[in-house]
Amino acid sequence: MTDVLLQVAVILGVLNAPLILAALLIWLERRFLALLQDRYGPNRVGPLGLGIVLADMIKIFTKEDWVPPFADRAVFTLAPAVIVITGLMSVAVIPITETIGVTDLNIGLLFFLAMSSMGVYSVVLAGWASNNKYALLGGLRASAQMVSYEVFMGLSLMGVVLMAGSFSLRDIVAAQQDIWFIVPQFLGFVIFFIAGLAETHRLPFDLPEAEAELVAGFHSEYSGMKFGMFFVGEYVGVTVIAAMIVTLFFGGWMGPVLPGIVWFGLKLLFFILIFILLRAALPRPRFDQLMAFGWKVLLPLSLLNLVVTAGALLLWKA
Amino acid sequence: MSDAYLPILLIFGVSALNAVFMVALSHILNPRRPTPQKAMPYESGMIPLGDTRARFSVKFYLVAISFIVFDLEAVFLIPWAVEMRALGWSGFVAASIFVAVLTAGLVYEWKKGGLDWD
Amino acid sequence: MTLIYYLAAAVAVISTAMVITRSNAVHALLYMIVSLLSLALIFFTLGAPFVAALEVIIYAGAIVVLFVFVIMMLNLGAEATARERRWLQPKAWIGPAILTAILFAEFLVVVATEPAATGAPAGVGVKRVGAALYGRYVLGVELAAMLLLAGLVGAFHLGRRVPSGDEEDES
Repeated sequence: MTDVLLQVAVILGVLNAPLILAALLIWLERRFLALLQDRYGPNRVGPLGLGIVLADMIKIFTKEDWVPPFADRAVFTLAPAVIVITGLMSVAVIPITETIGVTDLNIGLLFFLAMSSMGVYSVVLAGWASNNKYALLGGLRASAQMVSYEVFMGLSLMGVVLMAGSFSLRDIVAAQQDIWFIVPQFLGFVIFFIAGLAETHRLPFDLPEAEAELVAGFHSEYSGMKFGMFFVGEYVGVTVIAAMIVTLFFGGWMGPVLPGIVWFGLKLLFFILIFILLRAALPRPRFDQLMAFGWKVLLPLSLLNLVVTAGALLLWKA
Repeated sequence: MSDAYLPILLIFGVSALNAVFMVALSHILNPRRPTPQKAMPYESGMIPLGDTRARFSVKFYLVAISFIVFDLEAVFLIPWAVEMRALGWSGFVAASIFVAVLTAGLVYEWKKGGLDWD
Repeated sequence: MTLIYYLAAAVAVISTAMVITRSNAVHALLYMIVSLLSLALIFFTLGAPFVAALEVIIYAGAIVVLFVFVIMMLNLGAEATARERRWLQPKAWIGPAILTAILFAEFLVVVATEPAATGAPAGVGVKRVGAALYGRYVLGVELAAMLLLAGLVGAFHLGRRVPSGDEEDES
């Protein structure tokens, strides 16, 4: 009985951590972005402006939650829920330390890929249900971008799987005992990182919501907490991608001196900051450039990476 | 079926509850003041022309087909990737042929201009 | 575990029925996703996690996305829904339904009279799938590659725009 209770407690903890983290990330992003752009950012509410997190939450919960009369009401409500649910479920397979983590699936990596393929529906359905030209275009763009980069993401991870010989994320971290996979799988890391940016449609790949051409893309018609849920979903997505990068390429919880959870947290924070830094540093490509880059550069490269890794491993073994 | 999968069901329940909670709380807290302007599709303040029933470029369809083909390729490579060490060179050759055939498809599409957006 | 299996099976049956009876194509597809997800859950409970993951990645995550794409591209509106509703008149489905009911009754009789399969199926892990696929069935893998190649090339030619200078929607 205590076992079950403990498990439920871990699940609640691990699940709600990214939600709290998402709220904090909004603050972090605004402050860090402001720092990079030589301005202050939110610094009035509470110490360091941290109160803005609470203020934002109160604001977004009490805003009018408008469902347009021309929208498909049920699907319109379902869409933002999908992104939050799939995002949170991916967190389940991430091993935080040797002992902390919701579950250790033997197909952990596939579970992550499956959840990210389900996440596509949130943008497609939002675009369709809004019944708005910009939303539909944004939804189509977002889904074309996400499904394409999902392929490259899956293929780029095969190198890691080849080296670890397992889909269990815990095994993959354990296989990095001697050397982090960033060294032998640098190409895989680069592809995964780019694909991760595109999957979460973060800047510079935020074409589905490119405000200059598509208003706000698939969430043009969303307001209030439903809009907030897309926001939360995006930050949960960023957290998950950063956590996957840490787990797959940077040895997860491993590191000298400090306990595992601190290492994991530090590495996670580092990659989240990189995500924000990219937002400040890079311009947005055109949609055709993005798609061509994926199919013409990332796909051949990830296939090459796969075959070369396998060949090298077999040669090395022989 | 091991115990590892039960938490997945639990986690689905908890995250679904989270989502429902968010929608419900804002539904309770939010004010409702509909106006005729709000009832129009948002198009940057312009009066909307026509409806959303425009047809879209067939390009998206091609992307979706390519996506399915290469997703299936990845899926075929997944079991090989885990079992690679045990399968040895014969498995490597088989997988290489598999990849080569589909790369030929990619090159064909590329040469024919299927990968250019316009 | 048996309970989860039966729950998932019930969800699969109900959602599949909903797929058939919805007149709005996107709603039907949503139920289809639910149906596929519950199938994945059934595979989980039967001890085939790899197949379950594939069910989600390939069917729910790829094939249905293609369906949604096509529906969004054709962008059928209210009249399509109305037509769908007209097609769902009893006179259209009552014949097939009766025939299917006969088959189903036969199936029930067979299940009731045949002795049950013995023993729970052993778990089928990814490694075993890999060993079989690239061992005994390696020819099947290469044939699948050919088939996928044919699919890719065929779809490209079907979907290619005939260069006639037609106005196309920018997208």
